[in-house]
Amino acid sequence: MKRLLLSVATLWLLSVLIFAGARMLPGNVGRAMLGPFADARAVEQLNHELGTDRPLLEQYATWIGGFVTGDLGESYAYRAPVAPFLWTALLNSAKLALVAFLMVVPLGLLGGTIAALYRDRAADRILSALGLAATIVPEFVSGIILILIFGVWLRWFPISATAPEGAGLLTQVYHLILPAIPLVLVLFGYIARMARAGMIEALDADYTRTAVLKGLSYPRVIWRHVLRNALLPTISVIATQTVYLIGGLVVIEILFQYQGIGSLIYTAANKKDFPMLQAGILSIGILFTATTLIADLLYALLDPRIRHGGDE
Amino acid sequence: MAKDRRLIDRLRRGRSEIENHLIDGLVDGRISRRDFMRHGSVLGLSLPLLSATTGAAGFELLLPSPARAATGGTIRVGQIVPAGAIDPVKIADGGGITVLSQVAENLVLSAPDLTAQPLLALSWSPNADGSVWTFKLRQGVKFHSGKEMTADDVVATFDRLTDPENGSNSLSAFTGVLSKGGTRKVDDYTVEFHLDAPNGGFPYVVSTDNYNAVILPADYAGDFEKDMNGTGPFKMVKYVPKQGASFERNPDYWGGAPNLDRVEITFYEDYQPQILAMLGGQLDVIEQIPVLQGAALLSNPDVTIISTPSSAHQEVHMRTDMAPFTDKRVRQAVALTLDRPKLVEGLMRGKAQIGNDSPFMPAFPSTDTSVAQRQIDLAQAKQLLEAAGMADGFEVELTTEKYLEIPQYAQVIQNAVQAIGGNIKLNIMDQGAYYGDAVPGNSPWLDSTMGITDYGHRGVPNVFLQAPLLSTGTWNSAHFNNKEYDGLVTSFVASLDLESQKDTAGKIQRLLLDETPIIYGYFYDFLTATRKGVTGVEPTAMSHLFLQRASV
Repeated sequence: MKRLLLSVATLWLLSVLIFAGARMLPGNVGRAMLGPFADARAVEQLNHELGTDRPLLEQYATWIGGFVTGDLGESYAYRAPVAPFLWTALLNSAKLALVAFLMVVPLGLLGGTIAALYRDRAADRILSALGLAATIVPEFVSGIILILIFGVWLRWFPISATAPEGAGLLTQVYHLILPAIPLVLVLFGYIARMARAGMIEALDADYTRTAVLKGLSYPRVIWRHVLRNALLPTISVIATQTVYLIGGLVVIEILFQYQGIGSLIYTAANKKDFPMLQAGILSIGILFTATTLIADLLYALLDPRIRHGGDE
Repeated sequence: MAKDRRLIDRLRRGRSEIENHLIDGLVDGRISRRDFMRHGSVLGLSLPLLSATTGAAGFELLLPSPARAATGGTIRVGQIVPAGAIDPVKIADGGGITVLSQVAENLVLSAPDLTAQPLLALSWSPNADGSVWTFKLRQGVKFHSGKEMTADDVVATFDRLTDPENGSNSLSAFTGVLSKGGTRKVDDYTVEFHLDAPNGGFPYVVSTDNYNAVILPADYAGDFEKDMNGTGPFKMVKYVPKQGASFERNPDYWGGAPNLDRVEITFYEDYQPQILAMLGGQLDVIEQIPVLQGAALLSNPDVTIISTPSSAHQEVHMRTDMAPFTDKRVRQAVALTLDRPKLVEGLMRGKAQIGNDSPFMPAFPSTDTSVAQRQIDLAQAKQLLEAAGMADGFEVELTTEKYLEIPQYAQVIQNAVQAIGGNIKLNIMDQGAYYGDAVPGNSPWLDSTMGITDYGHRGVPNVFLQAPLLSTGTWNSAHFNNKEYDGLVTSFVASLDLESQKDTAGKIQRLLLDETPIIYGYFYDFLTATRKGVTGVEPTAMSHLFLQRASV
């Protein structure tokens, strides 16, 4: 309960910060919409229509009052309700993140496991070096290289991540594979390293030695005892990457012409579309708070030590 | 040309004095054939008359022609995402204009060859002093809803745009030209515009140059996105904000049904993804590519670049009321350091025309081409600086926007000025920050000592001559204040007759070369990319994309 209240307080603080922060950006909304060459009277009129000429406190009250009752307000730029834009963007981002996860998690675990089993040998060295190299290549560089090879030259994959309307699941996934690869590259090294560390710790653990000594076959030891124990810390690392995968993909979304939450926030900030910007950032905030909260609760559930520590 | 007096006399019959003066100018050789076509089209001389007079055969019109054999198909267009809702009254960017040009039309087309051509208006003519213009409307034009377009719709459209209450984006274009109530219906197919002041270039104010001025039904309620009810060659099928729009052929189009079955426009946040998509065979047309970013397409054999010459340019302003530019010799010196042919070749890849430090690009019929072109002259530049007491050079900050080739242009200027001891510090900002609130005191654009600002294409130089340079101009970032200039511009704008326009233009050009409040280094072409095999795509430098004659 205490945790829940804290989360709500955090989110409220975030809402105030976003609201104030957005309004501290220089320039006024009507001007940003109509452009520098529009007549001052037209700008004033637009600001009036949008209500951006009202007192700040009043604007905040209207917005947050609407927000908690599920009314996300109307976009300044598109003059249409924010909610459909937000849901589409969140759903799209979730789809892309899911495809990336489905690719990177097995690959990362496999890589980490192999590296741990062949510790300090060639396979380990190569995997670590590759993982590190892939992590430091920025998404827009790997993205463009991938497009040029697989989209332009070989034409195996579509360049746009947006599938045609009404496309089936497979087509949608097909469109998302190419944009997911740069994310896989960024995350692979990270996950593989965590998996390797967890594996090594588990391999060195007493219970593993016991299992080997009691005569279990090697693959069985790895599968039943080592992997299970090695995975826990890796999974928590993966969980922390969820928000990155959903909220931090502006570059990939722009490169692959995809309407995700990252590009929604980016364009809203550029255009001073405050209702859209606020809803976008706050939804990321809610997502982050929720994942952390769930992760904490799960940990507590799984590990009695944490549960007891938390109660003190 | 051979002078066939009888033909000329027949043509002169029934024409106004201004029109006959133009015809005489052509006959006497004072006016070139091309200028005659261009200026005659503004005055509303009909095209058959213009061609009869010049004897020009095969003059290529951008006019929609009767449909050829329908070939069908879908054209896929890439375009930067419109900045806001598609409301013709408020649209202010290329993305919106491209969408709008599929479904709605202006009275007049400001064509790429700088002629004014009939769209929804068939013909137009001014009264003796150019203060009242009468427009005859095309008959039988239907909105997508099926209702016929008449003078009532035209009057309502212009009253809507000129009413400050509506926050129209074209209010600045109409200021001092046309006010609410100035548009009057004569009969169902005739409209009179009673102007605030005489204006020889008025047809351009209601042309595609003023992209907000598309004719909408009189009962338009501000909900354009719902059905995009206009008179255009395509009808909206679907519009998804931020994502794209699709259109289908309008079988009832007054110019004949288009070849294409469908137009699919996809919105992108940036140019590079569009270029990659075209290379990957997923786009047929990219509405605009900037010359530097588009380099990969310029040399690609599978891509055709449509290079539309335009009056778009980047103004380098120098604050005439701030050090070090209070002395005009310093401003002249800076302008003399630029190697313009090299600038056009290097920076703009040859896709631009050289500028002569006034908005009069050589292609405007009113430009006095006898004014000598300013060329690089470092020795003279140094002398001028010395005479201004700045032999040791000067320091200044150049503030500008991160847009197209502007940052690179700023660097070119920075390097060029070093040759005469000028030390320029660059301050390149995000576009929104650069324009700020667009009012003096709260806008780096209008406040900076030196800056570079992008100006889009116009079919006549009037807008460029007014707001950025008049002492009362709202975009006057050079803070130029010259009564003689103000007077010359007022008479230029009012003038109906090409020769007096040319005469005044010469004076303005010389005055601006002498004062140099703004450097006009080049006028850049508007580049549209099409996949090889795609034909009939007709862009304007204002971001219209006419596809009624396109086929894939």
